[in-house]
Amino acid sequence: MKALCWQGKEKVRVETVDDPKILNSRDAVIRITRTAICGSDLHLYDGYIPTMEPGDILGHEFMGEVMEVGRDVKKVKAGDRVVVPFTIACGQCYFCKNQLWSLCDNTNPNAWLAEKFFGYSPSGLFGYSHMLGGYAGGQAQYARVPFVDVGALKVPEGLSDEQVLFLSDIFPTGYMGAENCNIQAGQVVAIWGCGPVGQFAIRSAFMLGAEKVIAIDRFPERLKLARAAKADIINYDEVDDVIEELKWMTGGRGPDACIDAVGMEAHGHGIPAMYDSTKQALKISFDRPLVLRQAIQACRKGGTVSIPGVYGGFLDKIPFGAAMNKGLIMRMGQTHMMRYMQPLLERVQRGEIDPSFVITHRLSLDEAPHAYKMFRDKEQACIKVVLDPWKDAVAA
Amino acid sequence: MTIKTALGDNHQFGSKSSRVTTAASLLGAATLAAVAKSRRGWSRWAFVLGSGYLAYRGVKEAQRPETGTVRVSFTIEKSPEEVFQFISNPNNWKQVLPEFTIDSSGEVARIKLHAHGLTIESDAEITDRAEGKFVAWSSLPGAIEHRGVLRVRPAAGNRGTELSVAMEFNLPAGQAARAFLSFSGHDPEQLVRETLRHFKQLLEAGEIPTTAGQPSGSRGAKGTALRFVFREQPGEIPGEPIRLAGD
Repeated sequence: MKALCWQGKEKVRVETVDDPKILNSRDAVIRITRTAICGSDLHLYDGYIPTMEPGDILGHEFMGEVMEVGRDVKKVKAGDRVVVPFTIACGQCYFCKNQLWSLCDNTNPNAWLAEKFFGYSPSGLFGYSHMLGGYAGGQAQYARVPFVDVGALKVPEGLSDEQVLFLSDIFPTGYMGAENCNIQAGQVVAIWGCGPVGQFAIRSAFMLGAEKVIAIDRFPERLKLARAAKADIINYDEVDDVIEELKWMTGGRGPDACIDAVGMEAHGHGIPAMYDSTKQALKISFDRPLVLRQAIQACRKGGTVSIPGVYGGFLDKIPFGAAMNKGLIMRMGQTHMMRYMQPLLERVQRGEIDPSFVITHRLSLDEAPHAYKMFRDKEQACIKVVLDPWKDAVAA
Repeated sequence: MTIKTALGDNHQFGSKSSRVTTAASLLGAATLAAVAKSRRGWSRWAFVLGSGYLAYRGVKEAQRPETGTVRVSFTIEKSPEEVFQFISNPNNWKQVLPEFTIDSSGEVARIKLHAHGLTIESDAEITDRAEGKFVAWSSLPGAIEHRGVLRVRPAAGNRGTELSVAMEFNLPAGQAARAFLSFSGHDPEQLVRETLRHFKQLLEAGEIPTTAGQPSGSRGAKGTALRFVFREQPGEIPGEPIRLAGD
């Protein structure tokens, strides 16, 4: 089959590789009908996530048709149309039983490696480094899905691939980012980053009762999409100080909740941004935590900082004194996918949201290397790329 | 609890060798050798002699028996009875330790590790056992010495069962042996940790998660090297998953 393989910093290419097969009895193999490039894939592309190996198949937002299932698979059967969540969970451990699916104890074959980095291992993820499992990803024509009964979401009739594909990651991720803010009616939520996760966070914050959402970015097309959802906007290229601007827009109180939907590769202005870029270039740090600093500083007293953005390593110059003395609540984590997929599917079915609104580019898998660069550099007003692994292509 | 062992109650495991001494000696040897290269006359031979002595010391230090302790504990979402019964079944050990053969039919368990074309052997006996609670073991006199206790007890707050191993060991060829074992994933600490983890995975999830046998693009020299570093060298694909009660 064809698959997009990581070969190093800014080097990805489509290679012909073996088809995946069932390895454990709770696995399935699916034929992928649509797959997407995630903003967090750009952290891999830019070489900022440790423990990648050349040859790794990328991709963790995919869906398709079940071709084959292992002998202990009970609910899913060949022919089912399913969306696959990016986290892999066993469904039986303490964490799964307590709905903390992305912290599953039993799905990371390289748990020892994650333990060296994090103390304890989170769940395995598709196509996202070897310390998080080293599982082959879904920017390919086929994929093996472990514990398919626990993860895969069956797609009901009448919904297109594009309407449900983002239940694999970015819609639940944006939603959990907003849910973690514990929004009360009438509250103001500030969201840094108007990429796909930010867009879903904006819409989710309104769904959860926010009165006002302030979206922060610098790209006109992304701000336009935020405004379409009735968010107020700040273009950080056009204001002197984001924190002062937020104070002004919230009657001097500050936002009740701040969402960092950017993560480790934040852009910005001034000395802090230069400091982060220098450190990252010198490989002293994996992360540029500019947004996290701003979010903590901007948040109102007793407010919540929610972090769906991905961070990799050790962050510095975090204003923890501000967080402590203002009594902030901080919530974060990889998305507990299985908690959100079904309820959000029902919102799509009821017509409350059509997640395909974020798509700006529809390309073939062969065009993926170009798409990564375009998405990273925000060329052609790119917000979200969806790939058809079978377009103009014959299975190798 | 005192573990009675065939090694005797007062058996001393060898003293811990020093990584710092080894590294300093070998580094010193290399430095003196480099200096010797740039010298002429009698002083050159003095540096060669000094370098040789430090190299000898470094190698000797690395060969001193390496002792260590291992303490690993996992909490499993099953009852203590289920866990003890599971670990008492020799077939389940075959699944979590495919590179080992353990013949426990007689009084003495004959343990063999087959890795990289080598076979490492050690005999051990059960020295104490309380059904449902613990099993203590000790190696018989041999090149590799080890003794320890495997415990099963209920976790606080109705959180399942704690399965733990505490052991001490002595490797004859010291740091060199441990480094070799570590590289191939057979370091005692790693081995115990992954064995208990695999028991937990089998008991809770019904299978050991794996990526062995999945497709990948071309790995190249760097990718292949990293697979060794991450201990992902293609090994045996795990055996058929077992079936659990209530499955």
